[in-house]
Amino acid sequence: MKRILRRLLASILLIWAVFTLTFFLSRMAPGSPFQGERKLPPEIMRTLLSYYHLDRPLSVQYWEVLKKTASGDWGSSFKSPGVSVSEVIGRALPVSMVLGGTAFLESLCLALGLGLWMARAREPVANALRMVSSIWVALPSFLLAALLIEVFSIKLGLFPPALWTGWSSVVLPSLAMAIAPAGYLARIFATSLSETFRSPFFLAARGRGISRWRLLAGHGVLPSLNAVVSILGPLSASFLTGSFVVESLFAIPGIGRVFVLSVMNRDYPLIMGTTLVYTAFLVGMTLVGDAIGEWIDPRVRAL
Amino acid sequence: MLGVGGILFLLFLVVLSILPERLTGLEPVRQDTHLVLAPLGTPGHLLGCDFLGRDNLSRLISGSVVSLLIGVSVGIFSTVLGAFWGLLSGYVGGVFDSVLMRLLEVWYALPELLIATILMLVLGHGILSVVVALSIGGWMGVARVVRAETLKIREQSYLEAARSLGATPLRLLLKHFVPNLIPVLFVLLLFRIPGGILGESTLSFLGLGLSPPASSWGTLVNEGWKALPLTPWILAFPALMIILALLAFQWAGEESGLR
Repeated sequence: MKRILRRLLASILLIWAVFTLTFFLSRMAPGSPFQGERKLPPEIMRTLLSYYHLDRPLSVQYWEVLKKTASGDWGSSFKSPGVSVSEVIGRALPVSMVLGGTAFLESLCLALGLGLWMARAREPVANALRMVSSIWVALPSFLLAALLIEVFSIKLGLFPPALWTGWSSVVLPSLAMAIAPAGYLARIFATSLSETFRSPFFLAARGRGISRWRLLAGHGVLPSLNAVVSILGPLSASFLTGSFVVESLFAIPGIGRVFVLSVMNRDYPLIMGTTLVYTAFLVGMTLVGDAIGEWIDPRVRAL
Repeated sequence: MLGVGGILFLLFLVVLSILPERLTGLEPVRQDTHLVLAPLGTPGHLLGCDFLGRDNLSRLISGSVVSLLIGVSVGIFSTVLGAFWGLLSGYVGGVFDSVLMRLLEVWYALPELLIATILMLVLGHGILSVVVALSIGGWMGVARVVRAETLKIREQSYLEAARSLGATPLRLLLKHFVPNLIPVLFVLLLFRIPGGILGESTLSFLGLGLSPPASSWGTLVNEGWKALPLTPWILAFPALMIILALLAFQWAGEESGLR
């Protein structure tokens, strides 16, 4: 209990630290969010700055924004005035969650299959699989996305090349996000599986002559899953980075695209909002990963 | 086997960057409106031309130089930064160590690309800013490993011997810690350089890294992407270079022993 509280406190501190860093970095940035193609008259510029309180001292702004953010008011977008940040995020988040969730499940299935195969394969095949997985890991998601679009949407016409129109538009982007982490995950899973296969409890279970299925699932896969669960935090970070790229490429209106656009537009409130959502997500996933890890392997609890 | 292949490809890249850009006799920025999107094998333009009639091969070569330069610089900077943090943390120990490690955890929780993107806001869009942003985004892994290694070295008997002979802390650091960390640092560097290359190409691809007139593997892939249905080879060549470079570093790293 005490440990959970400590972790929660650390998470809140992390979110606060990220908030502070993002705030000061974005205010230090040269140029203002209202500098566009045409120059605004100085009076209008001054009015705009004072409307958004950007003309006050930085420390005053910081406290103001911190208080507001903590109370749930994340301000409104600079680029599209009148639209609140929470509205933008509320619209983008479900899209990203569907996409990311699908990608996560896909990569888990791919990794479990490939990992099991790698761990059980004999020498020539095992070597080839290792080679394939290293190429697999080196494939950047934007290249994979380009390849998928070229083959499945331009050549074969099976799936739409962009936009968010229904379930058929989930397929390509989620695959583009899932494949690289799956290769990495498969390697970790395979290593942990082959360790399990050599361990006494597995050999004992095999000696007892229980069915092949129960042996593999209960005594092989389940104990090896811990290695997979323990990297849930870093893994979700890689999905998050994948979402910047893939959502921008496929023109999907999710959080990743909102983030990239808000950085390009210097839309401070939106940058803050998306970064906070990201951090909260990462913290949450790490906590969930630890909790599942303890549940699967009670030995961890004793540490 | 693979390691040798990787090292050979890396040597090829080094030769490519040392040779003058005059290799093709063409300037990478010269535009020729008659040759817009010229196909592969056009006389004088082996890889054809891009949407502004610039020679693809010379752009690919100058882009490779930029991408490698960024990758290697990010590798060196982030390794040095991480080594400094890890060494300090492991050497001083105590409360100082735990403070540095908590700070590290905060930073480590955030993905490299998220940090780099936000830093690019402040830094502008030059080569140097990309290097700084990616280095600050990705030194944390190095610091962890270096700290663990430092703690190991601290327990060695040669260190106790040196200390009991009255060596000053500075001498201990320079004569005992640093030389013993070098092999580890080398391997870490080999794993950080491809990280830098991938980071640059992703940033530039998204339009958050280098800005248009500059060419790098990332900007070339970005331009190739826009012309994808018409001329897929404009995307294919820089893409192939990125994949081969990443693989070469990975294999060379595995060859050099530690993992």
